Amino acid sequence: MSKKQIILGAQFPGVNNFTVWRDPAAGSQIDFASFRHFSETVERGKFDFIFLAEGLRVREQKGRFHELDVAGRPNTLAILTALSSITSHVGLIGTLTTTFNEPYPLARQLATLDILSGGRAGWNVVTSPGAFTGANFRRGDHLPFGERYERAREFIEAARTIWAGGDFSSHSRHFDIAGRSGLAPLPQGAPIIAQAGDSEEGRELAAGHADLIYSRHGTLEAGQAFYADVKNRLAKYGRSRDALKILPGAAFILGDTQEEAQEKLKAIRLQQVSPKNAIVFLEQVWNRDLSDHDPDGPLPVAEPDISAQLAQGRANRFDNRLETARAWRELAEREGLSIRELIIRVTARQQFVGTPESIASEIDRHVQEDAADGFVFAPHLTPGGFDEFVEKVIPILQERKVFRRDYSGDTLRGNLGLPPALLPDRERHDELVGRIAS
Amino acid sequence: MLLGVALDAAAHADSDRSSWGGFWSGLIGRLDGAVDFVTLEDGFARAGADGPDAVLLANWLAPRSRDIGIIAGAPVNLLEPFHVSTAIATLDYVSEGRAGLLAQRLREARAAEGRRALGALNGFPADDRQAQDRDAQAAIEVISRLWDSWEDDAVIRDPKSQRFLDGSKLHYIDFEGADFRVLGPSITPRPPQGQPPVAIAWAEGDDPSLIREADIVFLPAGQGEIGDVIRDSRRGAEGAGPIFIADLDLGPEGPSIAGLVVAAKQATELGAGGIRIVLSDPSVQLGQLLSEVLPGLRDAGFVRRPSGGTLRQRFNLPVAANRYTAAA
Repeated sequence: MSKKQIILGAQFPGVNNFTVWRDPAAGSQIDFASFRHFSETVERGKFDFIFLAEGLRVREQKGRFHELDVAGRPNTLAILTALSSITSHVGLIGTLTTTFNEPYPLARQLATLDILSGGRAGWNVVTSPGAFTGANFRRGDHLPFGERYERAREFIEAARTIWAGGDFSSHSRHFDIAGRSGLAPLPQGAPIIAQAGDSEEGRELAAGHADLIYSRHGTLEAGQAFYADVKNRLAKYGRSRDALKILPGAAFILGDTQEEAQEKLKAIRLQQVSPKNAIVFLEQVWNRDLSDHDPDGPLPVAEPDISAQLAQGRANRFDNRLETARAWRELAEREGLSIRELIIRVTARQQFVGTPESIASEIDRHVQEDAADGFVFAPHLTPGGFDEFVEKVIPILQERKVFRRDYSGDTLRGNLGLPPALLPDRERHDELVGRIAS
Repeated sequence: MLLGVALDAAAHADSDRSSWGGFWSGLIGRLDGAVDFVTLEDGFARAGADGPDAVLLANWLAPRSRDIGIIAGAPVNLLEPFHVSTAIATLDYVSEGRAGLLAQRLREARAAEGRRALGALNGFPADDRQAQDRDAQAAIEVISRLWDSWEDDAVIRDPKSQRFLDGSKLHYIDFEGADFRVLGPSITPRPPQGQPPVAIAWAEGDDPSLIREADIVFLPAGQGEIGDVIRDSRRGAEGAGPIFIADLDLGPEGPSIAGLVVAAKQATELGAGGIRIVLSDPSVQLGQLLSEVLPGLRDAGFVRRPSGGTLRQRFNLPVAANRYTAAA
């Protein structure tokens, strides 16, 4: 039996502390030259797609702009369209919220990207926190928290109606729209849909509507459990197990030897979690001003304040502050960790650390053992973060016959090995598929 | 004087999708270095012929050109100003300072179509011209303030203080208009030009204050009113005011070089700083433009080869001061 083929996505290093800016090799986060270098490298490496995250408001901490991490990014759809102009095969997936967009303008823009890129557009569907991000948009905080996923689902359905072309109308709880779109048929029928939520609702939305899941379950065991759970949900929507690809986010640290890679990891983690950043992370859980604490000293004596929230504009990973604080205290006491050492430990993400051979082999194992269909890798450096990976890891995967030597399909959908897009009207769907094929 | 070309982003929209790349690539390749700028009108909610998003098309064209200014259209009274601001700022990064915004104002039937396509939403203007114009003006103000919301030296990368950013150089724009409010700052650092030029196409009944706030105003040539509009907008106004560009059609019969030269001369005398040739059918007219019209206008001494530089430089606009830096 032939081996499963690995899917690889390349995330442009984002607005967070994982992107190292102190390294002499760190370049501009915004100049087009950086995006050009990045996209040309990953296309040379035959990656499936480039992936961009989203943040529609500058992050804040204690009512002030967060200064410690990389900040500032381009408009997602604009930069992806520019990148489609200088590449020919790599897919282009942007994270775009359903909360502060409307179906007609967004579907039209994604259709534009799909046509201009020759069928390489993808949309990672997310929802946004209402009041904080809403302050930058006409409608403001318009959506009750509990209705975010309902709106997302209805938004995707409305977008598909628009992508089908001609007269469109969509009438649901959140939308009452009608018009005429002149852009169909799109090269892919519809752009690739990715989904990043990990909640019960997020998994269900993905099983019903998505082509890809961007997940957080990077370890082998957690990945296998998530993989089985989501794939088992597909049948009820009449979809095959191949119709949805599962791609955890991950990082990598390459070295010539295992020891060298571990040393590099240590140095990079120290850069990612600066002394001040360690305090900022701690403040997110403690919800108190801890700026007078020594990052190399012990945890605060006081308990977290469980009233209002201190940090804004980032995914809230610490739902239960008291419980998190208790666990961290226990870990720090058991292993004698300072604040900074503890934060380095607890904010670690899934990483492959080792030689090109060992990393290639680990990636392959996760895919062959059904913990994933591939990975979305985020390097820690802009713009050269994939240079070494493309030079050293990709050839090993190709040698193992688990990764393409060249692009086989013309579209992102084709390269991912996905079935044709779901469009609302069956008859029109078949007709479009026929026209695309011909 | 300046020479530009007006294109509609939906110009090729009816053709086979796989031919779009070749069409646009060929077009921009031939115009680049030949004219100073191109405008791309957006067909948002134009029933059945909306075509591609013009700002995205502009971002696709920018890396395929080296010299030409690209002024991308967006119907600002029916879009989120935050998204428009970051998309034009991105165009300015991609084109290295050649970006501009054509702020389109949808009215009447088009606006009504737009409202149907968007749904009835809070924060968007009502269906009357006054509300739509007021909203467009507010949206332009927000877009422009957001461009200034990062000072040029906001990114400090200072290992000593462990700070990537100097937060004191980011600013809330805190805009509050009749229909909506926007807090800011932008997520995109200040674009290379600081303020990419904002253009509008003049329409009958426009408020002179709107005209004065634009950097570039397109006026239909061949009508007496062009002189009146320019005179009215300059009356009692301080500062330089916008640059007026006269629109010329090539006409259904093909161009008459003598006629175009006369029209261009007339426009200059009335105070226009350039002309924009409207190409309603570029696949036919582009050849005429390059082989006949352009040499004709050059021979008559009206236009020169493009001078290069940023779009602001080419329109002779001063370096854009940052309103928030100036206020500090």
